[in-house]
Amino acid sequence: MPDNAKYWLDAINALTISTPFRIMNVCGGHERAISQSGIRTLLPKNIELIPGPGCPVCICPEEDIYQAIQLALHEDIILLAFGDMLRVPVNTTKKEPRSLEQARAAGADIRPIASPLDAIRIANENSDKTVIFFAAGFETTMAPVAAMLVEGIPKNLSLLLSGRLTWPAVDMLLASGEACFDALIAPGHVAATMGAEEWHFVIDKYQLPVAVAGFEATSLLAAFYSVIRQQQEQKLFLDNCYSAVVKPQGNKTAQQYLSQAFDVVDSNWRGVGSIAGSGYQLKTVFKQHDARLQFKDYENNKRKRIGEMPPGCDCAKVVLGKIYPNQCRLYGQACTPRQPIGPCMVSDEGACRIWFKYRTDRPNEDHQAETVTSA
Amino acid sequence: MTETKDITWAHISLAHGNGGRYMRELIETIFSRYLSNPVLNTQADAASLPDMEGNIMISTDGFTVQPLEFPGGDIGSLSIHGTLNDLAVAGAIPKYMTVNVFIEEGLEVSQLERIVQSMASAAKENNIAIVAGDTKVVPKGQGSGLYLATTGIGIKSGQHTLNIKNINIGDRIVVSGPVGDHGTAIMLAREEFGMHGALQSDAASVLPLTQAVDSIAGLKFMRDPTRGGLATVMHEIQQASGLGVYLYEEQIPIRDEVQTVCDMLGYDPLYLACEGRVVAVVDDNNAEALLACWQQLPQGQEAAIIGKINQGNQVVLRTTLGGERLLDELEDDPLPRIC
Repeated sequence: MPDNAKYWLDAINALTISTPFRIMNVCGGHERAISQSGIRTLLPKNIELIPGPGCPVCICPEEDIYQAIQLALHEDIILLAFGDMLRVPVNTTKKEPRSLEQARAAGADIRPIASPLDAIRIANENSDKTVIFFAAGFETTMAPVAAMLVEGIPKNLSLLLSGRLTWPAVDMLLASGEACFDALIAPGHVAATMGAEEWHFVIDKYQLPVAVAGFEATSLLAAFYSVIRQQQEQKLFLDNCYSAVVKPQGNKTAQQYLSQAFDVVDSNWRGVGSIAGSGYQLKTVFKQHDARLQFKDYENNKRKRIGEMPPGCDCAKVVLGKIYPNQCRLYGQACTPRQPIGPCMVSDEGACRIWFKYRTDRPNEDHQAETVTSA
Repeated sequence: MTETKDITWAHISLAHGNGGRYMRELIETIFSRYLSNPVLNTQADAASLPDMEGNIMISTDGFTVQPLEFPGGDIGSLSIHGTLNDLAVAGAIPKYMTVNVFIEEGLEVSQLERIVQSMASAAKENNIAIVAGDTKVVPKGQGSGLYLATTGIGIKSGQHTLNIKNINIGDRIVVSGPVGDHGTAIMLAREEFGMHGALQSDAASVLPLTQAVDSIAGLKFMRDPTRGGLATVMHEIQQASGLGVYLYEEQIPIRDEVQTVCDMLGYDPLYLACEGRVVAVVDDNNAEALLACWQQLPQGQEAAIIGKINQGNQVVLRTTLGGERLLDELEDDPLPRIC
């Protein structure tokens, strides 16, 4: 396979594409790579690239973040979270901290970390304290968390787990009949962990082209070319355009850790609702490390899904690819990376943030919203 | 000056800042030993400088880098290079500097000595005399080992009036070497991410670079892209000129090691600090001449014309692929990525 972005770009531009063809990229990393290399400005007009639900920060339930904030504020603990989570706003009264970052400013011991190894280190360095790791993320992030549990986790380290599986969200979206895309780019790192095979349902159940892509222009453009050709020739197959990293069956060891540590349960996605079989929960054998059980009083069932999206915020539609970020009326106006209102403007994986950061047609500068072509 | 004594203590204590004997001994055994020159008189409250002809320029800067010593430099040499570079890009030749030293109780004396030695050789290499200084010791926990603040005095050279406001449509943007080395070397030196590397900081004097182009006609503006990196200087140019900055990604020199580390950690080298590079804006007709000037110097061999000034009002990057995107202004401290 020619390993050259220009080659695939020319190949796509040589195709005749007479009607709009909408390709959803599942992962926030895909969207970032697309926007960073300016791919949208180079493709034929009829090709639409739609950001999908693969931003773990964006879909992390509001009640989980609220719970993490409250734990950090009111218990004598150290709370650890991935850096991206710190600035996500939740719905509180004006006087209360609205994000982990604000809770930290209010005196809570909240520390950003980059990997579960940091969690182990901090727990060991503070053996007299309870350390809670607010672990949000998809399969790729959850596998090392699972390994940490299975291989022996420090006694004083607990998990506030908010792990999610990606494919059930895409399945739910397609089953709803409201999906706004004609082909799917499956997430490369998730496929590397879980195996590309789990995306075969897109062909089997919904007869749509699918290709796995990595996070560089070359891999993405190869995948775009593949799904366009699959559609044009009506020969659907699960194409792996990230074969250097994604191996058949995925990473067996990682999968084993995941199944040893977690049960798969129905779970909430912020702005979307409950999706069947889309979340991880600690197995009972690890209950002494489950912060949800240790601090039961902080689990507020009434809170679930109440006010999870601020008024006017369309993150829920952006996450499902029903609108582009710049179709939300808050985008770039009331909601910016400096003053994010919705979660998609916070994370480097969030579509709104990525668009605002990289697109030359920012609001107030001859702003014209693109629209997702309706089905 | 008293004759040099041997150092008898292993760590700095609060007594070294008390104004008494310990402090005198610290000054004598370390600061005077390495920094002495005819103007520096540790007994006087103020230094008298010889008469200087020309336009006198002054600049000041503080240094808080962690770790104190890193591949390619340390806080001592950085405190000289940082202030001298600010003078150099403004078109001056640095002559004198003052230094403020804030030491945290508990700092190893041997480390302090290494740092002061390095400061002295950086000053000497660039013909700069340290003419005044002060030392304070702060209690343990109130500093990160050592902070330095330097103020530099220089004399303007050449005929140029460098001013960001002189920038016009069609001008070219030239960088003197690869960007992001210092920021990446510091990240690696912290070993926070379990990564190690042989990458050296680019920390150095840029005086040879700025002096080499002193006679280039059409030179409008120079800056050393420190905090916030190349992207931040581009935004300063955009905002001050009200014009657009258009960069060619494939022309911007970035070392492979820097790109690899940044890809892994989710950083963009265009936002990472350099400590020995210069960005120049020069009119189109003289861009090649300026480039040739720099490329003849050891520290300018990888210099490149990386962009131009246009009519827009944004900083836009033309990607290697040929697409266009915004190069945004740095928002907050880059945080580790989630996946």
